[in-house]
Amino acid sequence: MATSRIPAADAASEGVDAIVSGFERLGYIADRSLATALYLVTKLRKPILVEGHAGLGKTEVAKVLAAFLGARLIRLQCYEGLDVSSAVYEWNYQKQLLAIKIEEGSDKTVEEKEKHIFSREFLLERPLLQSILVEDASPVLLIDEIDRADEAFEAFLLELLSDYQITIPEMGTIHAKHVPYVVLTSNRSRELGDALQRRCLYQWIDYPNPEKEMKIVRTRLPGIEEELARQVVEYVQSVRGLNLSKPPGIAETLDCAEALLALGKLRLNEEAMEQTLGCISKSVEDSAKVKAAGSRPTL
Amino acid sequence: MINLLAPPNKTAGTIVEFCRFAREKGLSAGVQGALGALEAAAVLGVGGQDLKFGLRSVLCSSKDDWDLFEECFQMFWRGSEPVRSLNRKMRAKKEGPTGVGRRDSTSLMSTGSSDDVSSEKDGALAVTGASARKRLAKADVSTLPQNDMAMLEQIALRLCKQMSRRLQRRRRIGTSRGQVDLRRTIRQSISRGGEPMNLRYREKKLRPHRLVTLLDISGSMSPYSLFLVKFLYALQKHFQRADTFLFSTNLVEITSLLRAQRLPQALQALSQQPAGWSGGTNIGGSLREFNQHYRRKLRSSDTLFVILSDGWDTGEPGALAAELGDVKRSVRKLIWLNPLLGLKDYQPITSGMSAALPHIDVFAPAHNLDSLLALEKHL
Repeated sequence: MATSRIPAADAASEGVDAIVSGFERLGYIADRSLATALYLVTKLRKPILVEGHAGLGKTEVAKVLAAFLGARLIRLQCYEGLDVSSAVYEWNYQKQLLAIKIEEGSDKTVEEKEKHIFSREFLLERPLLQSILVEDASPVLLIDEIDRADEAFEAFLLELLSDYQITIPEMGTIHAKHVPYVVLTSNRSRELGDALQRRCLYQWIDYPNPEKEMKIVRTRLPGIEEELARQVVEYVQSVRGLNLSKPPGIAETLDCAEALLALGKLRLNEEAMEQTLGCISKSVEDSAKVKAAGSRPTL
Repeated sequence: MINLLAPPNKTAGTIVEFCRFAREKGLSAGVQGALGALEAAAVLGVGGQDLKFGLRSVLCSSKDDWDLFEECFQMFWRGSEPVRSLNRKMRAKKEGPTGVGRRDSTSLMSTGSSDDVSSEKDGALAVTGASARKRLAKADVSTLPQNDMAMLEQIALRLCKQMSRRLQRRRRIGTSRGQVDLRRTIRQSISRGGEPMNLRYREKKLRPHRLVTLLDISGSMSPYSLFLVKFLYALQKHFQRADTFLFSTNLVEITSLLRAQRLPQALQALSQQPAGWSGGTNIGGSLREFNQHYRRKLRSSDTLFVILSDGWDTGEPGALAAELGDVKRSVRKLIWLNPLLGLKDYQPITSGMSAALPHIDVFAPAHNLDSLLALEKHL
């Protein structure tokens, strides 16, 4: 059995290090767990399912991975009612109709005409088809918010992810030239199918600890003063403990810090909190909770 | 003690061993998971913490797994004793036959067995025919004698069949002419030189709603709860997408239990659920539990959310209203069935009920079969 000999970790460890540092260079602070999972994605060529609360940089993972690998990023945003014609391919009907008209006088047989209007020339490639048609190198395929698509689409996706091929009835089966790196993200608004989950590597992204969040703020906003950054991070970290219906993610922390910079604030005081409340809480109820907690001396 | 730094050849065996161990502890990884783990190990190598992260991303497929993994890993490689039980299901099983459940299991079972007796007399009952059925349909279930139960159930089953048939037919009637399907139209028109003479349409595909039902089994509901449980059993059987919960002071999901078993066995199993049969009521708290644990699983715009309760609540009305509002925002219709509404002079003025009313789309009685039949028009 080939897998029974398991090597020492040195080479892999270097690979994971490279991802951590490469991602940091691109402005994304990845912890070792995520980097290891991504290393496996590149080596095992399995899709990865990234789950976590909103605003923690799930989508960013794919974008940065593409930049890191120097690969093309192809993105499919899922929504309820997403169907094959907007995810995989569609025929260019106007062009087909025109072509039929033009060929009206010609002495081609019906079969020849049919073959012509169902050729690549008339095919509109949507993201999933694009991802397996890329000629030069493996692209990164981001399937964003898969939990929003319905079960039927999930089942279809399963087929694509197992064989990396797509069948178009009029043309036949198209195999991937280069197997794409697939990143799926989900907000867990519904449970995904068993089969899909099993096929993927899994990564849960949790809220960052203060040190990591500090690092993220300073990487993304190099102009920010150390003290202000620390205040913002502490503030957001404490707000996360308030049991809000939509706890702020890293995106909110960055928004808040950016807003403070734009307002020319040097310190996070009560007035500044009031002004940037909209960055942190996204509903009336949450705002009230944050305000109530903010009036306590601990904040 | 097993060491991660063992000689390479042993490691493969150890990893397989670990996969088996994790599976026993409730991780969902199967044989495929073990193969994946070996692949990952072959890539990542031994030593350092990367292998742990790699195994975690291979073996886990949900947040629950993710949380469980750490514990499994510690236990297996550090050899620490299992301190607390890992699996929520296991815990539920342990607590099952103790406490409140035990006392009521007898009462539930006795009615269950009287059921069996009456089903033997089924032939005789059937002869009495339509008039008896009519009488039963009007009777308040709390006043019914025990051996009419089989009959009631039969009607409930018929009603259910009727309901799901209705839904299926709607799917067909609902095929109004929608968008033109250019793909099919063009395909058809090739033989006519591309003249789209017969337009093809893409029809809307309707499917039956998803049904989520919460049944109150607290003390005040006890005259009705057995009947309603049977009703839910029947619903579960005929609705493809139905999820059922019991609640009194806490919430228990019984979907798989109802689905997996025949009615008498299901009733017996139900009586052992730690849901507090004939206990107190905390509707707000139970709904919060639902919102926390189940909502993301069930949320969709086509969900019908049904609460079967008399609205006698010991919790805080404000909390109930807030949670109900939360539910309301994510479902299509919120239906509250109150058996007491069948009583002549009943007014929904209990604090819980009046707090809940503003959020409810349909407020209807559920004390007899007629009222359940009337439910059909809301489904």
